[in-house]
Amino acid sequence: MFFHIVLERNMLLHPRHFGPHLRDKLVAKLMKDVEGTCSGRHGFVVAITGVESVGKGMIRDGTGFVSFPVKYQCVVFRPFKGEVLEAVVTMVNKMGFFAEAGPVQIFVSNHLIPDDMEFQSGDIPNYTTSDGAIKIQKDTEVRLKLIGTRLDATEIFCIGTIKEDYLGVINDPGAAV
Amino acid sequence: MFKRLKLPPDEGTIPNILPGEVLDKKPIPVEEAEALADMDRRGREMAEIEAFLKDTVELVDVSQLKNPNYYRDLMYLFFPVSTALAKIDFIVDNGAEIQDEEERRRMHRRPLLPREDDQEDYEALERRIQARYAKSSHTDYDEEATDVEQQALLPSVKDPKLWMVKCAIGHEREVAVCLMQKCIDIGPELQIRSVIALDHLKNYIYIEADKEAHVKEACKGLRNIYNQKVLLVPIKEMTDVLSVESKATDLSREAWVRMKLGSYKGDLAKVVDVDNVRQRVTVKLIPRIDLQAVANKLEGREVVKKKAFNPPARLMKIEEAREMHIRVERRRDPSTGDYYESFGGMMFKDGFLYKTVSLKSISSKNIKPSFDELENFRNPDDGDGDIASMSTLFANRKKGHFMKGDAVIVIKGDLKNLMGWVEKVDEENVHIRPKMKDLPKTIAVNEKDICKYFKPGDHVKVVSGAQEGATGMVVKVEGHVLIIISDTTKEDIRVFADNVVESSEVTSGITKIGDYELHDLVLLENMSFGVIIRVESEAFHVLKGVPQRPDVALIKLREIKSKIQRRNNAQDRSRNTVSVKDVVKILEGPSKGKQGPVEHIYRGILFIIDRHHLEHAGYICVKAQSCILIGGSHANGDRNGNSLASRFTPLRAAPDFLQSPRRPPRGGPPIHSGGRHRGGRGQDSIVGTTIKIRMGPFKGYRGRVKDVTGESVRVELESQMKVVTGKSLSLSLSLSLSITFNRNQISDNLVISTPCRETPRYGLGSETPMHPSRTPLHPFMTPMRDPGATPIHDGMRTPMRDRAWNPYAPMSPARDNWEDGNPATWGTSPLHQPGTPPARPYEAPTPGSGWANTPGGNYSEAGTPRESSPTYANAHSPYLPETPGQPMTPSSAAYLPGTPGGQPMTPGGGGLDLMSPAIDGDGEGLWFMAGILVDVRKSGKKPVIGVVREIFPDGSCMVSLDPNGDGDMITALPNEMEMVVPKKSDKIKIMSGDQRGSTGKLIGIDGTDGIVKVEDTLDVKILDMAILAKLAQ
Repeated sequence: MFFHIVLERNMLLHPRHFGPHLRDKLVAKLMKDVEGTCSGRHGFVVAITGVESVGKGMIRDGTGFVSFPVKYQCVVFRPFKGEVLEAVVTMVNKMGFFAEAGPVQIFVSNHLIPDDMEFQSGDIPNYTTSDGAIKIQKDTEVRLKLIGTRLDATEIFCIGTIKEDYLGVINDPGAAV
Repeated sequence: MFKRLKLPPDEGTIPNILPGEVLDKKPIPVEEAEALADMDRRGREMAEIEAFLKDTVELVDVSQLKNPNYYRDLMYLFFPVSTALAKIDFIVDNGAEIQDEEERRRMHRRPLLPREDDQEDYEALERRIQARYAKSSHTDYDEEATDVEQQALLPSVKDPKLWMVKCAIGHEREVAVCLMQKCIDIGPELQIRSVIALDHLKNYIYIEADKEAHVKEACKGLRNIYNQKVLLVPIKEMTDVLSVESKATDLSREAWVRMKLGSYKGDLAKVVDVDNVRQRVTVKLIPRIDLQAVANKLEGREVVKKKAFNPPARLMKIEEAREMHIRVERRRDPSTGDYYESFGGMMFKDGFLYKTVSLKSISSKNIKPSFDELENFRNPDDGDGDIASMSTLFANRKKGHFMKGDAVIVIKGDLKNLMGWVEKVDEENVHIRPKMKDLPKTIAVNEKDICKYFKPGDHVKVVSGAQEGATGMVVKVEGHVLIIISDTTKEDIRVFADNVVESSEVTSGITKIGDYELHDLVLLENMSFGVIIRVESEAFHVLKGVPQRPDVALIKLREIKSKIQRRNNAQDRSRNTVSVKDVVKILEGPSKGKQGPVEHIYRGILFIIDRHHLEHAGYICVKAQSCILIGGSHANGDRNGNSLASRFTPLRAAPDFLQSPRRPPRGGPPIHSGGRHRGGRGQDSIVGTTIKIRMGPFKGYRGRVKDVTGESVRVELESQMKVVTGKSLSLSLSLSLSITFNRNQISDNLVISTPCRETPRYGLGSETPMHPSRTPLHPFMTPMRDPGATPIHDGMRTPMRDRAWNPYAPMSPARDNWEDGNPATWGTSPLHQPGTPPARPYEAPTPGSGWANTPGGNYSEAGTPRESSPTYANAHSPYLPETPGQPMTPSSAAYLPGTPGGQPMTPGGGGLDLMSPAIDGDGEGLWFMAGILVDVRKSGKKPVIGVVREIFPDGSCMVSLDPNGDGDMITALPNEMEMVVPKKSDKIKIMSGDQRGSTGKLIGIDGTDGIVKVEDTLDVKILDMAILAKLAQ
């Protein structure tokens, strides 16, 4: 789920950036530092949408770096247990498949793939129904439901299932070709 | 619980008599009255002994004494009382067991109880006995109260003593019976009180008596007793004589045990039947039978005893036995009525072996069957997913198994399937808060009736069992079994719900046993090596250093010889130096296309981690020569020599030894120890290395390089204590298994340079001109480095890094420079990937470099561009396009014969091995051989089966396209061919190992192993299927 929230961060800025563009530098550095990171609490920071306030800078003793408390608005993405997501399959193997929904990696174990789908190894490993109508391979888009999430300080890993109604392949680029 | 006793039908009509019931309702013969009176006194003592024994007392019919089956228990006591009322006490462990033995119940028993003269005494006695039996038959009697009582019942000085008497071995019981008979015959003159024969004590019996003289008297005339020596048992030890060890009796049917001896040692077995008398149990095992051996034996053929060959455990397929012409009989077990197949004295049912073994040869304590073992024991026929005998598993639960807050589910009783949470744990009862609303707040259930409950998605930690310590997420719950996706390996783990707890922690489980840790490179027995990819409680999973296929072995701690810590280097396909942490891409073999950082290097084999590779903890084992370095080296800058070397690998195409002339003369005799790997890193000079002289008068001599001047080398000969000077060209490195990369490289160069003289096109001649251009750099940079460090390489490379390379950072892989955000990194790094066309644009700016005309040309041209490049400042430009050229090099085979490093790429059969002394012998590939069937897959054509007719040195084969070998002849490249996997009873050829080339017959397939009967020796071998190829008919 996406959230638009305000976060705060202490930015350390090198004195060489001091000058007329200090604020720009600060924002640029903030974006570089924060976007794409992940915290267990808030999830992935997808984008910074604005800077609310930049506090007074404090010179750090000994280094000359200045720390600015910056409040910024950002869009975060945090997966939840039970959430239904659409994701793109990135890898298929006999234990299941990995899919990505934006920055989140989701693993769907073969126990959580409908029983009628079987793993086919080969050049393009895939899961296929017995009649061959539905095929999950790399780059297939699937809708899945998260059944478990593991939130580390730096990583979010989810386990999903497609073994429920209305879950599974939603668009298969491989099939269209 | 009272024991129900029966009177013999001939002695009365009272069918059931409870202990303590008045027995003298039955008429007692007058002549026995006196004896009875005498008994009163004894009776009291007897009751005391009984109490002391604590165990249930049973009375037996004298007529049954001859029946050996009658003495089913550990010991019996013989009370010498008056004639008709002889008695044997059976001491059993608990009342429950007696209940089981309905058969025994039916025997005639008569209680002998102390009789008192008046009614009150009887009543008192009844109460006393009732109290006692009621107490002991209850499982949860009050422990403390009994302790006190028990104390009081211990023997004191006033009590009769216990004497130990020696008797003939094996006749203990007989002696006891004889003494009883004697007592019956003689009567009260025999002044001993009881006789005890213990099953576990051979050679001795115990006699209870007041005086030693009484014992001697009683023993007189008995032939099996040697009564010269009568030992007194100290009072303190008297109780030990009669205390019953619990171990023998807690073995019940359906229990899991482990075998202690024989070929089944350590195997799990399930108890089918227990025979306490004969001390034997019948167990159900997964057979380990070599049918071939059995067949040979039955046919009377000579069987060569092979030691330490233990056939793998697998379920017996009777049809297979029949196929081997083993006579299989079908029998019915008279007692159970089940049918068994039997041959060679073994009984089988449903594929399991039923074996009767001695109680002593199994261990029944603390058996924790692993999941896999239990899985194997699941009857293949009954498909129900319930893992049998949960009760034994529960019995192994630790204390404090359940904790407050655990989600549990009731699995037995009325409340079955009720879910709840643990609120409180008493000793055996667990109070749970049920999930259902209408139920009372807490319910107390027995610990054995509940088990833990998890939902898919829970994050758990395994707390016991083989996977102990692992964490992961539950993906599926199958009854009592959870399937967990491990956090670290992303593999499925199957565990019992009992063995896990909910946890948010992330670990990979135990990562260390002894000195060996997860991901260590270890040397195993028989000189193989591998990387530890998983650590279990007792063993490691080791991915062996066999590049053809992933080979994972389960290795016990003691099988590991040592950890390999040395940092080796290797050469990739383009002879770039690969060191640890460099990113390489695999160009051929089963893992083609994968890439990742090198974690370990040993004997020219790389272990690479590909994070997208899920098996084997991401490790891929591959030959260095099958890889190509991508980008620069990841090695840290502080690892000076090596890291630089690898960072600028393309520059190194010039053989090292050519640089030796540029060695600074002022350095005098080099201080550095060169090839002796200081700090684990081999340095660049050949000084100090052991070499072998290839030609001239000292041909064949080994020695150590002392000094290098120009092309001459001074060598200290090992055998002659003499220093000689020779041309470096005539030296080669002696082969040594532990050769380091640098030596390796040097050896390459030496070898290469030899042919150079004949073929000036090669390296030496053409590269010489570049020396002048480099030499000036030398003084410029050398001072910057530690003079002790090898000046040769550093001198030549350092400037390049600083002046030419660094600003563009073209060799560093993109990932490293992520932080810099330097777009140049991104732009350039693809160039290093082989075959990437964008390299082209770089050709243009190269001024006057002649190489541009031959971008994809001969590999040996690698050095050529340098010739024409006037300065190092633009040195980078020629190299970039050069890289794409390498893998395409069509003539790559041309340089291989002289290049030890190149060997593995050349699927040309064993012949080339001779030329690659630096690579260990086991690297020999799985190359094709004449006569085998292959599946030829030419691109765009349907796969055809053909027979290999001829193999060319470059690995391609002449194949006749027909399974019978008389079709068209075509030439196929090795990568277009695949060996045809043989089926059972096909003729096969062994493609690898010391039996390579042998033919044989595949007599069975067991998973990935094939059971092969080798044609010449008639040996039966178990070989990996991957090295077996089907032979053309």
